[in-house]
Amino acid sequence: MNSWFKSGSPWIWLTGGAVSISLISVIGLLALIAWRGLSFFWPSEVVQLEIEKAGVKSAVIGEIYDREQVPTSRILATGVDLGDYNEEFIERLLLKTGNREYVDLDFRWILTTDIKSQSAPKDMAVFERSKNGNFYGYVEKVIENGQEHTSDKVQKLEALVERAVSLNDEALDLQNGPIGHINYALERARLKQRAYELDGELTQERIQEYEQFKVEQKAKYDVLEAELFKLRGEAKRDQVIVKDMRGEMVTIPLYQVLDFTFPNNMSFLAKLGQYFVQLGKFVSDDPREANTEGGVFPAIFGTVFMVMLMAVIVTPFGVVAAIYLHEYAAKNAATKMIRIAVINLAGVPSIVYGVFGLGFFVYMLGGSLDQLFYPEALPGPTFGTPGVMWSALTLAILTLPVVIVSTEEGLSRIPSSIRQGSLALGATKFETLWRIIVPMASPAIMTGLILAVARAAGEVAPLMLVGVVKMAPTLPLDGNFPFMHLDRKFMHLGFHIYDVGFQSPNVEAARPLVYATAFLLVSVIIALNITAIGVRNHLREKFKVLEH
Amino acid sequence: MITVAPEVSNSTSGLKLDLENLMPEQTALEIKNLDLFYGDKQALSNVNMKIPKGQVTAFIGPSGCGKSTLLRCINRMNDLVDICRIEGEIQLHGENIYDKQVDVAALRRKVGMVFQRPNPFPKSIYENVVYGLRLQGVKEKRHLDEVVEKSLRSAAIWDEVKDRLHDSAFGLSGGQQQRLVIARSIAIEPEVLLLDEPTSALDPISTLVIEELIGDLKDKFTVVIVTHNMQQAARVSDQTAFMYMGELIEYSDTNTLFTTPAKKKTEDYITGRYG
Repeated sequence: MNSWFKSGSPWIWLTGGAVSISLISVIGLLALIAWRGLSFFWPSEVVQLEIEKAGVKSAVIGEIYDREQVPTSRILATGVDLGDYNEEFIERLLLKTGNREYVDLDFRWILTTDIKSQSAPKDMAVFERSKNGNFYGYVEKVIENGQEHTSDKVQKLEALVERAVSLNDEALDLQNGPIGHINYALERARLKQRAYELDGELTQERIQEYEQFKVEQKAKYDVLEAELFKLRGEAKRDQVIVKDMRGEMVTIPLYQVLDFTFPNNMSFLAKLGQYFVQLGKFVSDDPREANTEGGVFPAIFGTVFMVMLMAVIVTPFGVVAAIYLHEYAAKNAATKMIRIAVINLAGVPSIVYGVFGLGFFVYMLGGSLDQLFYPEALPGPTFGTPGVMWSALTLAILTLPVVIVSTEEGLSRIPSSIRQGSLALGATKFETLWRIIVPMASPAIMTGLILAVARAAGEVAPLMLVGVVKMAPTLPLDGNFPFMHLDRKFMHLGFHIYDVGFQSPNVEAARPLVYATAFLLVSVIIALNITAIGVRNHLREKFKVLEH
Repeated sequence: MITVAPEVSNSTSGLKLDLENLMPEQTALEIKNLDLFYGDKQALSNVNMKIPKGQVTAFIGPSGCGKSTLLRCINRMNDLVDICRIEGEIQLHGENIYDKQVDVAALRRKVGMVFQRPNPFPKSIYENVVYGLRLQGVKEKRHLDEVVEKSLRSAAIWDEVKDRLHDSAFGLSGGQQQRLVIARSIAIEPEVLLLDEPTSALDPISTLVIEELIGDLKDKFTVVIVTHNMQQAARVSDQTAFMYMGELIEYSDTNTLFTTPAKKKTEDYITGRYG
């Protein structure tokens, strides 16, 4: 035993064990999130259960979400009569029944003892709707322009749904494109007019010009609006009649239907195809129904946009500060104090930065900007309200210490012989820094940036104060001049997780979305980091310092 | 008192110079009453010497004797050391380089330096050579190309690198890197070239190549070399200065110093009694 200790193997086991535990936790975490998040998109079987409760027979249709064992005593305590059932545990199923507008709860626990039979009818249809979530039932009739079809229902339905979806898309494009453009132009014209008024330069001519412009735009708007209403009217033409689990015929207007499938009748390949379609929708669609349905595209976009903006701000600032600290500042106690203070800034809780950002950036800086440059919009704030620029700035301050510390480290690793070589050729200190030292320190700067991006992409708390919202109607980047709207609020994956998971009216429906969004957030951060690491490796190769 | 005609002394080493009474036109550098302190410690005390133009002057002495420190005074590299304090003068063309109005960068363009270890920049061979010119704002491609070829030829490395001018300088061997660094220094045509133990990190063959190169360089530049290798000093230099404990003990032409040293300390050192 003693010799075993002396041999050093316990240390190898200890250190190796520590590494393994870390590795297992990281992989376990990722695997759990990935599994829970990604399996959500798999088209699961829709079952029809015949249940009998206290002699009353009924049918329930839905997807089985979860199953669990509960102590029988707990069920009995709620006053449920279980008859002669006397096992210790009883199994119950969580069923997603959909059809939200016709039932009290679209998630329902069902005791297995109540189930008389279970089947998965092949003609069971799932309708994905733009309102009220999924609808489960049997397609009975398809009504095309008032005319009923009972034969070739599925083919007819497919064609009609496709038509309605494309009409809806067209209407949406019209609304977001030309109509949005007119509204934006009108608002700008109004602000310009108000600016003239404030400056006392509002002449009769300008008023007339403005009125003229308004009339022109209104005319254009009316045309587009008529077109929009026409498209919407067209989309409302057809309906489908579905028999739901209560056995009642329900009419679903097709303009509300996004997609429909027969999951019980799908081959594995068809399911796989459907899986990727759903996954693609999740990544590229806008959220619907208080974020509990639809995709998260605006949140992905907002996260990436804000992080990149932050990187653009923090890098020059951090690098310049590190250069001063390392190269120019006198090496004395004051510099040491500053350095310690900078390092400790990294330990300040992030919500404190949020408070600072709100007080300093949003109210003071943004308020002053509004006074100076946007007086025409007052009292409506332009920059004096949380927005993507303030978020990026707040996170830039939050991550500044990381960039400074790693840049300084990089600067101190450069051999002094290289500096002296440059100085000996008649370069000034600045020229040496600019041409030799900073390029050589660029891999270290990238390391700082990688750490900064990783930290910033995961921060949520400060953003809640300085710019993130549950639902942003527009992206910070669009086709209206000046294209980049840094004053706008934005959506963020981290906040989206919080919102969907804890603020949602429908917790059960939101749970898989929480996992899926979390997985997406991790993927976005990893993708950002891999890009940065690739750049860093390239730079390292380029500035490889002498080996001999 | 003129002992040698200047036009002769500029290109030959066979004739002895009167180092005490060198004429101004023969003098590249004059060091006057130079004292140097690192904090409280005196590293050089009262150094006086004249370094002749167009010749190779070697500084020898045991480790820590101040020979490298003295060399670094000539292009003010010691300015980089915060605690370093210098008293006395070094004159280049009769002007004190420690004057307040002297532009250090301009001085270093006139007094180039090659260090103990090769220190190429992480750039291509070409960019290493033109670095000094780019600093001066030279942009014309043809001019740069010419200078690159001329400098690399002068540094006896052109044939080895002419096909890979745009490859990284780090791909070269140590000896090649050192010659590249010499080419980089002479590309800006300095008047004086300081070599700080330029072969101490190199293998014998590279050393030989560099030594031959030094012999060629003195046609164009005044060369000052620090070496702890006495054979090397004897081989390459015209004048040799022996330093000990921060003092200049003996300074004369190389032959005299190595064959008939005037001072006991010099004799002890060159016969290997210490150092």
